[in-house]
This record gives sequence, C-alpha cells and structure tokens, in this order.
Amino acid sequence: MLRRAALAALLTLALSTAARAQISIVGEWTGRYHEDNTDRIPGDVQGDFTGVPMNAAARRYAESYDVRRVNLLEHQCEPYSLPHIYRGPLQFRVWEEKDPATQEVIAYHEYIGTYMQYRTIWMDGRAHPPDYAPHTFMGFSTGEWRGDVLTVRTTHIKKEFYRRSGAPSSDWTTVVEHYIRHGNLLSHVMIITDPVYLNEPFVNSQEFVLMERGNQNWLYNCEYVMEVLLSGGVPNFLEGQNPFIEDFAKKFGLPLAAIWGGAETTYPEFMTKFAAGVAPTLVNEVAPAIPRNTTPEIRDTIEAIHVQGAVYMLAGAGANVAVQIGDDGVLVVDTGAAVARERLIDAIRKLSSKPIRWIINTNADPDHTGGNETISQAGETVNGNPAAIIAHEGALARMTAMNRPITERPLNTFFEPERDFYFNGEAIRLYHFPGHTAGDAIVYFRGSDVLVSGDLFLTTTFPAIDVEDGAGIDGLIDGLNKMLDIAVPKYLQEGGTYVIPGHGRVCDEADLVEYRDMVVIIRDRIRDMVDRGLTLDQVKAARPSLDYDGRYGAESGAKFVESVFRILSRKK
Amino acid sequence: MTRGVTGLITTTAILTAVIALHAQGPRGRGAANARTAAPVDLTGYWVSVVSEDWRFRMATPRRGDYESVPISGEGRRIADAWDLARDDAAGLQCKAFGAGGIMRQPGRLHIAWQDDSTLKLEFDAGSQTRLLRFGRGGAPGEKTWQGYSLAEWESPPPVRGGNARAQIGNSTGPIAPGGGGRGQRGGPTPSGSISQGGDLKVVTTGFREGYLRKNGVSYSENATITEYFHRLPAEPGEDTWLLVITVVEDPRYLTQPFYTSTQFKLEPDGSKWAPKPCHTDPPPPPASSSR
Repeated sequence: MLRRAALAALLTLALSTAARAQISIVGEWTGRYHEDNTDRIPGDVQGDFTGVPMNAAARRYAESYDVRRVNLLEHQCEPYSLPHIYRGPLQFRVWEEKDPATQEVIAYHEYIGTYMQYRTIWMDGRAHPPDYAPHTFMGFSTGEWRGDVLTVRTTHIKKEFYRRSGAPSSDWTTVVEHYIRHGNLLSHVMIITDPVYLNEPFVNSQEFVLMERGNQNWLYNCEYVMEVLLSGGVPNFLEGQNPFIEDFAKKFGLPLAAIWGGAETTYPEFMTKFAAGVAPTLVNEVAPAIPRNTTPEIRDTIEAIHVQGAVYMLAGAGANVAVQIGDDGVLVVDTGAAVARERLIDAIRKLSSKPIRWIINTNADPDHTGGNETISQAGETVNGNPAAIIAHEGALARMTAMNRPITERPLNTFFEPERDFYFNGEAIRLYHFPGHTAGDAIVYFRGSDVLVSGDLFLTTTFPAIDVEDGAGIDGLIDGLNKMLDIAVPKYLQEGGTYVIPGHGRVCDEADLVEYRDMVVIIRDRIRDMVDRGLTLDQVKAARPSLDYDGRYGAESGAKFVESVFRILSRKK
Repeated sequence: MTRGVTGLITTTAILTAVIALHAQGPRGRGAANARTAAPVDLTGYWVSVVSEDWRFRMATPRRGDYESVPISGEGRRIADAWDLARDDAAGLQCKAFGAGGIMRQPGRLHIAWQDDSTLKLEFDAGSQTRLLRFGRGGAPGEKTWQGYSLAEWESPPPVRGGNARAQIGNSTGPIAPGGGGRGQRGGPTPSGSISQGGDLKVVTTGFREGYLRKNGVSYSENATITEYFHRLPAEPGEDTWLLVITVVEDPRYLTQPFYTSTQFKLEPDGSKWAPKPCHTDPPPPPASSSR
C-alpha cells in the first residue's frame, strides 16, 4: 500500500514536472522600438507606407485619408485594432486562466495599456464564431503551443489601420501571431492577411522585455470632446489633392512610388530598380470583387444570435430577421425570403412560444418580406386577427405596385418621420429615411439598445439606392447619421448599442461609422466629378469606389456609383 | 534494507532518469552530432521580406540618421564621421555586410550543412558566408567580417499533451453559436500532443568592426552578437517563415542591447540566388526645407 502511494506520488511529480516545463509568457512586458521607430513612436510624418504590401485599393484609401477625421466624435476614442496595437508604444500584461481540475491553461488573457484593451487567447480548442457574429478591435483568438512557440490565430477584427498615416486594414483581416520567449526577451511576430487591402501577407515582429519593476502607466483616458463642428462631413482628400502624402518621401529623400509600391518593394529584386530610379510596377488590380459572404444568406438551418436585451438576430432566412421576445409576445422585424418562411417560424418558436403579435417591415424587398403572410398567419393580435404588419406607407405602395397579395402587405402603415409604441417592456421607435427605397424604416429597441437598420446599412455590399422609387443619397446619409446619433458605444467605440444590418453581421457604432464615412467619401468624389462636368462613363472609369470595391464588391459598387451620379446630376 | 524500500528506490531512480531524459530533449537521446540532433530543419533558400525598417535597409539613410539605435556618444561620433567614398577607397565595402548587419541586408540566405557539426549560412548580398559551429570552444585569432559563431540547439522539453477542457466564457457581448461563451464548445477535439519545435542559438564574437546600418551606425569589435533562429509553425498552404532574432550588445558604441528580428520566407529552390559583391548606394542629398 505504501509502495503504491509512493509510486503514485512520484508519477504525479513526473507529470507535473513535464507540465511546468512549458515556457511561460506570463508577466508584464514593455516594448523596445528599435525597428520602424518613425511610425511606431513619433508618427508625426504623413505618408509612411514603406514595407506594407498594400494594393491599389489601399493606396487610394491612404491618399484620400485626412487625419482630421479623428476629430469626428465617433472616431476620437477608436483604439488600434489587433494587427496595429502591438506596433504602437505599449506595455502589456499576460496572465493565465487554468482549469481548477486539471491545472491546464484554458486561456491567456492580455491587458494592453494602450487604449486599455483586453483580449483573450483561448487554448481549449474552441471554434471561431460564424461570419455573422460581431467583430471587435481585438478580435477572437485561439492559440496552441508548438514547442516553445505560442501560435495564435485571430479573426473577427474590426476595420482600422496598419499605419496611422492611412494604410487601411479591413474587417476581413486575419492574424497569425507567434510568441517566442528567450530569457527576459519576448519576440512577437504577426503575419497579417487581408484580402481587401494587401496583396501578400504583411509580416512584422516586435520585441518586448520583461518589466522587473511595474510602473503605473497602465491607464488610457479618452474623453469625447467636440473641438470642431463638422456638420455631417467626413474629412477626406479628393484624388491628387492630399498635400501631405509626400511628406515622408521628401523628409527622407525617397521616391513616393517606392514608398507605396506594395509587395514588390519588400523583395531584394527591388533594390536594382530602386538604385536605377525605376518605380515599382504598381499593382492596379484590386482584391476579388466578390463579397466574401462565405455563409449563404439562405440556409437549411436558421441560426439565432442573442444580440442584447430582448432582441435576437436570426440569420439564414434571407435578409436578417430581428426578433424581440417578452411577456407580451413576439415582435418580428422583417420576415426573410419566402423560401425560408417555414424554417423561420420554427426558429422563432425555439425562442418563444408566446404569440407573434407584430411584424415590422424595414422595406418592401422580397428578401425582407417574403415570410410576411406565413408569419402573420402564424401569429395573432390581442383581437385574434393575424399578426399586424407595420411599415412606412412607401413600403405598402411599393408592394401594391408589385401586385403582392394583400395578405403579404403591411396594412398598418405610418407616414410621419417617426413613430413609436411600447411592447414587451420597452419603447420601440421607428424612423423613416428614404435611402434604399422610398419606404425604409429604422427600428430602435430603446430598452434593449438595439438598432435594426434594414438595407440602409449592410456589411455585405454597397448600398443600393432605388432612385426610381424615390430614395436618394441624402436620405441614405441622413439615415446613417441618425443611427450614429442614437448609437452609444459602451467603451472606446465598442459594444453599447448593437446594430442588426439588413444583411451581414451584427455591428456596433464603430462599424456603422466606417460605412457612413464610405458613403460620404464616395458621394464627395462623385459630386466633384459632376461639378467638373464628367460623364457617367468617365466617372465609372475613375472608379470612385475603388478603395472599397474589394470589400463590398465592384458590381454593387458600380451600381451605387451610377445611382449617386444620377441623383447628383439631376440636382445640378 | 527491505524489498519494499529497495523497490521504491529503484522506481524513483527510473522515474528520475525518465524525467531527465525528457527534459533534455533530442540532445539527451544519444544524438551523434548536431545535424542528427537538430530539433528543427533550417536548411533551404530563404528570401528576406523587408517589411520593417525599410528606409534603413532598402535605401541608404543619410549620415547622422541613427534613429532608434541606442547609440552611445562614441558610437555617435563614429556614425557622424561616416564617409562612403572613404570606405570604398579603403576597400571596406563589406563593412555593412558583417555579422552585425548582414541579416538586415535585403537578399537571400542559403542554409546548408557543411559537415555534421557546422551549419553554413551563405548570403547573396555581399557574397558573404558564415559558419555556425556546434560544440567547439574558443575563437580564431584573426578577426573577420563574420567573426566566430558558436551554435547550440535549444529544444523545449516535452509537454503533457492535450489542451484544457472548455471552460466558462466571460464575453459580455452577443454570443454566436460555436463561438464560445458559457460552457459552449464548438471546436474540434484538441490534438492531444504538440510538435517538438526548437530553435538555434548562435553567439558570435571575434569579428571586425562593422555597420549595423549602411550609414555608418557601427558595432565595435568588443560587441557580442546573440541570435536565435526560429522556423515558425505554419499550416499547410501557408508560407514558411524563418525568424532571426538578433541582440547586439556593445559596451563601446551602444548604451543598451539593440534588438531586431528579421523575417525570411522559404523559397522552393535556389533559382533566384544572385550573389553580388558588397556595395552600398550613396544616401539621398540633404533634405530640403520646403515645409
């Protein structure tokens, strides 16, 4: 008995000795900035794109970028995203979360002093969330030790920048990190892939040293301040008019073409061209113009995401469907495509067995209203009628014009700019902005703090403006600005008010403001071209949506450009 | 001594030996030489991808531009006196291609075994060669641009396999299916084991004074250069990367260690190998004060 106990103890010792042999990255680390110091520390020189394998879309974005954009309230406290944050001046703390039963590491947690960001690296083998889940500035990370290298993969990262002088990153960016420790030196490698703005992976590495004495510089205080009144504008430079784009080139005696020449300039072969004064072959193609919507919008299984409060998003029925549940019953915003209507009912029933009382349509499109009749018939008002369908009168007019059956039409309409009512313990406000069609409505669940945007905002394509129906660019921008007015981030442009877009993933104010900026910037470019007398063909050839085509698709970009051109030409 | 105590001592001895063997990694398994003991394969043709310090590496910075180097007063004096034409005239063209600067030169690196205990590093930039010697002490008397490098493998001891079980999440935002959160587990079953990994540590001394950067920012003969070579883990279809972490400690020209880490991408073959002599382009003319 004694021998068995001793043997067990020794085996335990042996195993725990092996487990402890894993190198530790726990501790407080502070940066050394012996590489790329110009950008990482002072960062005062505009136009440094050296070494970034940026494509033509990124160049256009960078040339257009006006740093005064950070004056906008929604940008003032925006943190660096994951692929950027380790490049700035920072210190960070790493600690472990262990399974009490096995003492194995479940997760590494990091607190990054810059912008007070927290991130978690899951070590328990869990999968990454689906495409339609929200993105954050730090993303969703999973890790695995391979020897003494901790390899981390991160997705679901918000759009931001690779360089603060305007080299953009997209929300399709994925990052592979490697943490490597030698004594008190921690090397951190990032391999960044971005199909929207990079032609090749962007690789960089940075060194950190273990802080033997902690200091107190762990706080980042950002308070929103209105310094200038920009009255709805988004600072940007028209093509060829950025006066700062060559600052870096001039300061260090380098040709601009080399500085933003992209991937080609990062290989040794470029040395020969550089010495001969030959510019790199600028890569003019953009990333594939097909939106990466890897999850089909209509699926066999409809997934429910609890967004916040009483509101859920159902994905897989066509356009996104929002469902509010509570003691009063069920309220459904949009009913998806007709082909998915039965599955949609099943999905709603999994959330609540209460009667469906109300349906709201954000517009009249078939992918938003295809289940109207079925969902309405499956529900009932307190009077015993099929669930009432609410929409702006413009939506009813459109469905009538389309000869949609009377049972599909929203007969409970409103015509004023706003409408509100109370259901399931919270106020529900409706706002009319004719940006996609003449009958668009935004829905705001005030208690749950969730906006449902309809097709005024989507993450899958450019906006579609039905000019013939009476929609316009002003209505679109006004609608986006209204949602920005309503949305309040919880902390540093993240969380707080959530937004269910017409199509795509769950968003918050940070995502919304990028979309608004994009719409305004493209509008500004087209307006300038119209003012200069350019024809539609000339405008299209100039590709005013180039820097966003890789993200939202060149096909929908061309339609958006044409719509805006027609609207602005008509005004003129 | 009873049989029970004898057995316990025997068991203890066996377990101790097992633990010791595991902790030693490949080196403790009776490996005959450095080549067979290698925990990682560094051989092949690698190309430097200059995504950092571009203006110091692809171009020649102006004299006096020693940004981010923890340079000492004496180091500053040397850097301020840099004269490219004088170097060229004195036959010192390779001063920027020595052990302390060669990794930062854009070019290709060919790593191969010269013999079972010597790893050869060839650089097409400057047509330089470094020999990394395993298990030999001392240094040659004559100083060279590349100095004398002692190498050793660093291998992590084995780690108990398996990842932790799914645990309580702490997300406060919307939780999607499969995305974690309280008690959820959507991922594949952990593999239960990890790859061996390992890296190469190289300490170099015995070199001639050279340049950390092309514009005369120098390291002295008194410096010590420590490097770590890592072949980074990659999934199928991903590029294979070599990371070289370099620490230059120089009591004469630096006030603190100078850290850089340089990335090289694996190439399929040596078809792009293009040796060139040591050469440094002149820096751009002085900056205009237009703004």
